[in-house]
Amino acid sequence: MMTYIVFILSVIFVVSFVGFSSKPSPIYGGLVLIVSGGVGCGIIMNFGGSFLGLMVFLIYLGGMLVVFGYTTAMATEQYPEVWVSNTTVMGVFLLGLLMEVMLVLYVLKSEEVGVVFKFSGVGDWAIYDIGDSGVFSEEIMGVAALYSYGAWVVIVTGWSLFVGVLVILEVTRGD
Amino acid sequence: MNPLIFTTILMTVLLGTMIVMMSSHWLMIWIGFEMNLLAIIPILMKKYNPRTMEASTKYFLTQATASMLLMMAIIINLMHSGQWTIMKVFNPTASIIMTSALAMKLGLTPFHFWVPEVTQGISLTSGLILLTWQKLAPMSILYQISPSINLNILLTMAVLSILVGGWGGLNQTQLRKIMAYSSIAHMGWMTAVLAYNPTLTMLNMLIYIMMTLTMFMLFIHSSSTTTLSLSHTWNKTPLTTTLILITLLSMGGLPPLSGFMPKWMIIQELTKNSSIILPTLMAIMALLNLYFYMRLTYSTSLTMFPSTNNMKMKWQFETKRITLLPPLIVMSSLLLPLTPMLSILD
Repeated sequence: MMTYIVFILSVIFVVSFVGFSSKPSPIYGGLVLIVSGGVGCGIIMNFGGSFLGLMVFLIYLGGMLVVFGYTTAMATEQYPEVWVSNTTVMGVFLLGLLMEVMLVLYVLKSEEVGVVFKFSGVGDWAIYDIGDSGVFSEEIMGVAALYSYGAWVVIVTGWSLFVGVLVILEVTRGD
Repeated sequence: MNPLIFTTILMTVLLGTMIVMMSSHWLMIWIGFEMNLLAIIPILMKKYNPRTMEASTKYFLTQATASMLLMMAIIINLMHSGQWTIMKVFNPTASIIMTSALAMKLGLTPFHFWVPEVTQGISLTSGLILLTWQKLAPMSILYQISPSINLNILLTMAVLSILVGGWGGLNQTQLRKIMAYSSIAHMGWMTAVLAYNPTLTMLNMLIYIMMTLTMFMLFIHSSSTTTLSLSHTWNKTPLTTTLILITLLSMGGLPPLSGFMPKWMIIQELTKNSSIILPTLMAIMALLNLYFYMRLTYSTSLTMFPSTNNMKMKWQFETKRITLLPPLIVMSSLLLPLTPMLSILD
């Protein structure tokens, strides 16, 4: 099973994405987001990125999703939608599940999957690596690179987040 | 809105477009688009009524979908070329997805449905920013990937946009919807020549922005959003009726005004590339545009539109100061002799 762990985890990832995109109430969306966050963390860890995986748990799940959960709990309705309560939601969920199952069977049957582009196994998603970093792990080098070569990216994303807060405050202020 | 916050948000809109236009990494371009989208939402929602909120939500949803498609195309391009630099897109699938994403951002047919609804729901100044500044960023990306765009898709979208822009604007009396359909048609003209000579796309964009700015400034000056209230400008400032006449005819593409320049150059470039039916069709469909501009000029400047007697005297409020109106009017009508200067756009 360990050889297929990334595959299994990514299937669960896609299924939980289908789960919240079929639009149940946000509380249940948050629930599958937790699952997908945890599973995504597992995928990253299997490629050696323990730091980034723990970052997902701490910041994404433990910070942002907790705040999201609290605000949704404040704004929730009396009978929130579940996947089985509304025919539309259940239909979309089952359709997404069906497509995922068919894709998984296709992948398991044949070597190479050619849906939109050719995909032949996990090797295609290998981390692009320069090769001469034998001692240090690549993900820590990536984080370090973000703050050295990628200073402009840090500035831009930091500014976007700041403006995001301003925009949200402005939009919800009302009159 | 607090002036400091408003300035910050407006500067972020500018910064977003600048980042899109000057980045060499696909991810930065995507970040620039998102920053632009995020920061323009409160500008669209200046007044807090359900109409503006609905318009901003529609704008956000369509543009966010387009950004997602753009990201998908970027990742497929990365898979097939192994690098993140902006140049032509290496995979036909990625190219088609990216063209669709940028067409959604610009408002080309068949993704044009949001343009009239969003433009109608927001104030005139926000509509101005939406129809002029927001077109710069996607057009710059189209310019950069133009060698690899699938010609069939591009020309189909362009011709259909010209048709929809002309035909859809025929039944409108609301000025913002008329400007929205005019924007769809002009985007169609711009993308038609993109694969043949992208410099003309830039020329058309420049002239279009000047003319649209002028039109919106004139509308803001007389605070009119319907044809009926525009027809009362003879009472308020008779001079603007003449200016509306000239600018509208320029938008319709009549010589000797400057709106003729891009259409002439585009038709010339298309015929140089041995396509005759296409520019003929485009020119004929531009007549639909001309018809509703002429209808506006008829009701505004050429006749005194029938109205009840108590509407003939308008309140003389303090005159608004409109930025740069005289130079804009001159530029949007008299630039035709300067056509040889378009070589500076290379």
